[in-house]
Amino acid sequence: MVVRLLLGLIFVLVAFAVVRALAPARAALAGIVLGAGAVVLVALNRQAITSVEFWAGLVGFAAILSALMIVIHPNPMVSVLFLIVNLFSVALFYLILNAQFLAAIQVIVYAGAIMVLFLFVVMLLNLKAEEGLRGGGGPQRYGAVILGGLFAGLMFHALRNRGPRPYFEPGSFDSGFGTARELGRLLFTRYLFAFEAASLLLIAAMIGAVVLAKRRLR
Amino acid sequence: MKSVEFFLLVAALLFTIGCVGVLVRRNAIVILMCIELMLNAVNLTFAAFAHESQSMAGHVFVFFVMTVAAAEAAVGLAIVIALFRRRRTTDVDDASLMRW
Repeated sequence: MVVRLLLGLIFVLVAFAVVRALAPARAALAGIVLGAGAVVLVALNRQAITSVEFWAGLVGFAAILSALMIVIHPNPMVSVLFLIVNLFSVALFYLILNAQFLAAIQVIVYAGAIMVLFLFVVMLLNLKAEEGLRGGGGPQRYGAVILGGLFAGLMFHALRNRGPRPYFEPGSFDSGFGTARELGRLLFTRYLFAFEAASLLLIAAMIGAVVLAKRRLR
Repeated sequence: MKSVEFFLLVAALLFTIGCVGVLVRRNAIVILMCIELMLNAVNLTFAAFAHESQSMAGHVFVFFVMTVAAAEAAVGLAIVIALFRRRRTTDVDDASLMRW
């Protein structure tokens, strides 16, 4: 049911993208098409509203819509803002998947630190809205869309034909799953070397960024 | 939520959109953002499989992917700033000196 709803919403998204591509100046028209389609789909699936699956589907819809807007919007500033929406949607997914600590660092590190860096650079460079999807690119564009479609088909095929599911008996449920305590214990025992290597990587990236962004680059 | 297929489906779609974005857009900053999008899709897959097998190893990998993403964003944006200082552009087609 939730997959049917999601597929319907994705169909509405494709209609939205087509309207936007055909009539670039009519953003309001495309928005009306999108909103009407979504309302019709939700009205058709009324009894689903009380389920977790429905809300997960809605978050998935927001994630895919914002991802599409990142790619098709000509203004990089708007792309950054939609990327923040997308990161928050993924943080909500982490919460649904019992990964509370990951949700927290997703919001703090990704939506907080990295996105501020992106926003800072976009504002610093004072970029104008570019041609976006409609100009430039050339034949690479069509190849990219075709290959992307093939890639999505491949992924769906892999999803359909997964191997045996991992066996998990409910009696062995660990209440520490997803907590910062459990993650920290793993990081400082089994993955200690990788943890130290990550700190080295961060130092190297920091020095590299400072050197690259210095005033005179020769 | 017992089934993780839904999350895998969303992650596959997000990864595909990011992949197409990298190939289609010519603005270096937007390309970096699409790479972040792809990394996020992979993180979502890791979290979904960790939930299915009730193993924290997937969460550790998400943690490391976030570290690498932060490093990549810092260095990538520094390169974009250096490129903008030299060429007054962020279009990747204008920086093709090292391309075959």
